[in-house]
Amino acid sequence: MTDTPDWNAYEAEAAAAAQSAASSDELEEARVRFLGRKSDIALGLREVRDRETGMLLNGVRTRLEETFDTRAARLADDELDRRLREEIVDVTLPGDELPLGHLHPITQIRRMVEDAFLGLGYEVRDDREVETVEYNFDKLAFLPTHSARSPRDTFFFDPNHVLRTETSPSQIHIMEEKEPPLYMVSIGRVYRRDAITATRYPIFHQFEGLAVDRGLTLADLKGTLLHVMRALYGPERKVRFRTHYFPFTEPSIEPDVSCGICGGSGCRTCKYSGWIEMGGAGMVDPTVLANVGLDPEEWSGFAFGCGLERTAQLRHDIPDIRALWEGDLRVLRQF
Amino acid sequence: MRVPVSWLRDYVAMDMSLTELATKLSIASAEIEGIETRGVADEGGNLGLFRIGKVVEAIKHPNADRLQLTKVDLGEAEPRSIVCGAWNFGVGATVAVALPGATLPARPGLPDGLTLERRKVRGEISDGMILAEDEIGLGADHEGIMVFPEIEPGTPLADVVPLSDKVLLVEATGNRPDLQSIYGVAREIAAIYDLDLAEAPGQFPVGTPGGPVKIQVDDYERCSRYVGTIVQGVTIGHAPLIMKARLLGAGMRPISNVVDITNYVMLTLGSPLHAFDLATLSGGGINVRRAGDGEKLTTLDGVERALTADDLVIADDARAVALAGIMGGAETEVSADTHTILLEAANFESHGVFRSSERHRLRSEASSRFEKGVDPQLADQAARWATELIVEFAGGTWTSWNDVHAGLPGRPFVEFRPERSDAVIGVETPADEQFRILGKLGFEQRGEGVVVPSWRARDVTREIDVVEEIARFRLEEVPFTLPQRREMFGVLTREQQLRRRLEDALVGLGFAETYTPSLRPDDETTWKLPEPISVDLTALRTTILPSLVEAVARNIDAGAKNIALFEVARVYLSGDGDLPTERVRVAGIVEGGFSRAKGVAETIYAALKAEPEFARGEHRLLHPGKAATTGAGIVGELHPRELDGEWGAFELDLEDLFAASREPITYTDVITYPAVRQDIAVVVAEDVAAGDIVAAARAAAGAELREIRVFDVYRGEQLGEGKKSVAFSVAYQADDRTLNDEDATRLRDAIVNALATEFSAELRA
Ligand SMILES: [Zn+2]
Repeated sequence: MTDTPDWNAYEAEAAAAAQSAASSDELEEARVRFLGRKSDIALGLREVRDRETGMLLNGVRTRLEETFDTRAARLADDELDRRLREEIVDVTLPGDELPLGHLHPITQIRRMVEDAFLGLGYEVRDDREVETVEYNFDKLAFLPTHSARSPRDTFFFDPNHVLRTETSPSQIHIMEEKEPPLYMVSIGRVYRRDAITATRYPIFHQFEGLAVDRGLTLADLKGTLLHVMRALYGPERKVRFRTHYFPFTEPSIEPDVSCGICGGSGCRTCKYSGWIEMGGAGMVDPTVLANVGLDPEEWSGFAFGCGLERTAQLRHDIPDIRALWEGDLRVLRQF
Repeated sequence: MRVPVSWLRDYVAMDMSLTELATKLSIASAEIEGIETRGVADEGGNLGLFRIGKVVEAIKHPNADRLQLTKVDLGEAEPRSIVCGAWNFGVGATVAVALPGATLPARPGLPDGLTLERRKVRGEISDGMILAEDEIGLGADHEGIMVFPEIEPGTPLADVVPLSDKVLLVEATGNRPDLQSIYGVAREIAAIYDLDLAEAPGQFPVGTPGGPVKIQVDDYERCSRYVGTIVQGVTIGHAPLIMKARLLGAGMRPISNVVDITNYVMLTLGSPLHAFDLATLSGGGINVRRAGDGEKLTTLDGVERALTADDLVIADDARAVALAGIMGGAETEVSADTHTILLEAANFESHGVFRSSERHRLRSEASSRFEKGVDPQLADQAARWATELIVEFAGGTWTSWNDVHAGLPGRPFVEFRPERSDAVIGVETPADEQFRILGKLGFEQRGEGVVVPSWRARDVTREIDVVEEIARFRLEEVPFTLPQRREMFGVLTREQQLRRRLEDALVGLGFAETYTPSLRPDDETTWKLPEPISVDLTALRTTILPSLVEAVARNIDAGAKNIALFEVARVYLSGDGDLPTERVRVAGIVEGGFSRAKGVAETIYAALKAEPEFARGEHRLLHPGKAATTGAGIVGELHPRELDGEWGAFELDLEDLFAASREPITYTDVITYPAVRQDIAVVVAEDVAAGDIVAAARAAAGAELREIRVFDVYRGEQLGEGKKSVAFSVAYQADDRTLNDEDATRLRDAIVNALATEFSAELRA
């Protein structure tokens, strides 16, 4: 038996070492020294012969382990605090650059129009763009002398084939395909022989609505357009009708929507009238109904058409329509 | 049409504001595009600064030979000194004076108008300005200052001449030629506001003479009526100030009393007139006939025109003297020396006038009216009134009258039920109110319908047309209702839903959607426009990619980064019938090479729940070694000649894509019996396609092989020349049990054996 160490002094020295350890690493060093496999107390415990010494040494070891654990937890907390204090970023720096694409503004408006009409119970369709004169003009009751029949206004491939000048042939197509009641909106490209300017492009998009049912009135048309204009431009908008002339509607009207820039008091955009022209509309002409075999005394209908580019220009304040056709990412990425 | 408001007041007494009037007319009749001021601005007391004055002294300016120094009595305590450059008046003349502070009408170079000041001219005070017609918008000439008959000095000038007026800019639709006249617009106002409308002038014969006018009409189809009158002994001079002022307000230049009267009557009633100098007409009469091919006529604008047999002309015995309904000839026009005139009020058929007008690129106030159709009943009225005005203002004697026609159309009767109006409009209008409106518009109630006035006979032929007449007066009262639907519901079709999903998937991948024209300069198609508006917009495209290549090139030039563009649009392919087959496609171009493009295509398919089937393909815009078909179109790397750098491209048919979609998806239980995953690598010859290895593995392992994807291709010396290692991951799974190691080994062996047999593949790992 060698000299019995002074275990009280050992415990005091170990506890002091634990308390003075400034880092987890230092603490671990002290733990190995005072509690490790080769520490005095480990060796002492291995050589214990009597119960009393055993209890003494186990008591010292258990207390020291607690001391070291407590100190370890404290140091871990301190070190986490320090790390958190150090790990400060400039939150104003940009984040990772992730890909994000853009729907063209015309597509966005197209979807708004579709959704507005779906909500009203309309089906959405589109028809062919190369049309026959029969569907583009004759069945829509264009007079033989109407200027739109002239090659000056319309793209002709030959005397019988044109690029459709409006989405209105869809009215005929759906009325020939299906029995009324019919509620549809047709959206697509149309073509006119216009010189390219800031407000006109020979190719553009229209949406065309048609309702055919029993007892439809001009008031139903007015309510429908109010709903759609509010869906496109906001709940504060108002709608009014002005008389107009179209071959395939009678009565014909032009709907105006109240100007969103001035709120109706008059500004440059609305030419100081407080109102903005939105397109054409009216009750389906009895001749058109008769052309597709419907009895105008039993069935009535209303129809309306509106340009998507014009809607986009008004909605987004785009001064030049050509910007919508050039594929310039500086433009497209704004939407 | 430009409509001076003072002119309207000749026929309808109005006291509403012009802004309100413009709104009401826009809603019920024709769009009012604006309200302009003609003449002197009536603002801030400006009008009161224009007065009548009497010249009480006039001497030569002491310091300037060409100026007069005058004193003018303006009804004030002392006469004013005014320096004037004109010499056509002297002491005692009654003149128009603008005082300092007055603002004159705008004129070229002075858009806000000149504002006068008291100032010295060559050392002498000038305390105002003595006025010429053109300076205050009452005429076109600057021949000298205006001299009036004796009027009390100090009288406001506005009491004496039409100093100021407002002009409505009326844009009538093509079905309303009656609104191309002052009287027609007045009639609308009277109907809208329930006001009295004065009788139209010229309706009742006043001493119509019996002497004949030689008129022969050869073509009644093109000229349904020709009224001619002769006035002998006229003196050509100026028209009255008010007439000139109104013509200027309506946008026409005053010329002479006779010509101004024809224009004034045309604008009032809507029926064009023309005056010939009778002395210049060979044979002294009129022949309405077709021109000979190549016949020459020099029109009033001084242009010699070569005519065709489709042109209708007014001719004398020797030659054509006017292009009917469009413009008179230079050789027979009224001149300062004219003593006898032949006045024409005729009715020319609209399409013929339109064709000639287009052919000769010649539009006039007359042709723009005839094109839309002029009421034939107006011709005699216009002729009578114009003749009366000529006798009144140009002197002379009305000696002859002739009215040649082949029967005039009657006024149509249209059946009309007032309750039909209510049913169409959706707001009730009492029957008597409906007939009141119709009466104001010239319709007569008769039996179960109405008789249509002659000026609306072309446009109103059916009950619904009469309903429109009621509707346009009720538009502001129409309520906002929605149809009482019973049988419809709205939903996007499967294809429309998938199209949105496709667009959204591409947006998620960073693509910007673009729109490019359907017409191209260069497409190989039979659908070409014979008369395009530009070479760039000539042929309907059969592929979208060329337009996107151009858009990408523009973006490169603009310095854009991370370029990725797509478009969903139609192509127009040769079809079986007489129309092209229109197919909707999605096309895109993205920075990066073949692998990038294929990744996009695979993601599109995955988003649509469809499986692509890639095979080697070709397209004129794609790299020949880096192009594949997918089953719905092509994908590949852009041909290096198209753009610098490596670019991925694809063009896929939507109908084919959607046909391959497994939407709606059927749920598969992959949780209860988990999959077993393995990696396999085999060594094969260089020319074995990865896709063929995958297909063979699928065939060999059967339904339990759920996933297979090549993740590495490796070439190295230890593999040997012409060999490559293809590594792929697989997942095995069964619906009814968890597969064990034996199952995995069995499936792996089946795959390895099949690859060994088909491709002499050696297992590497
Ligand atoms: Zn506004």
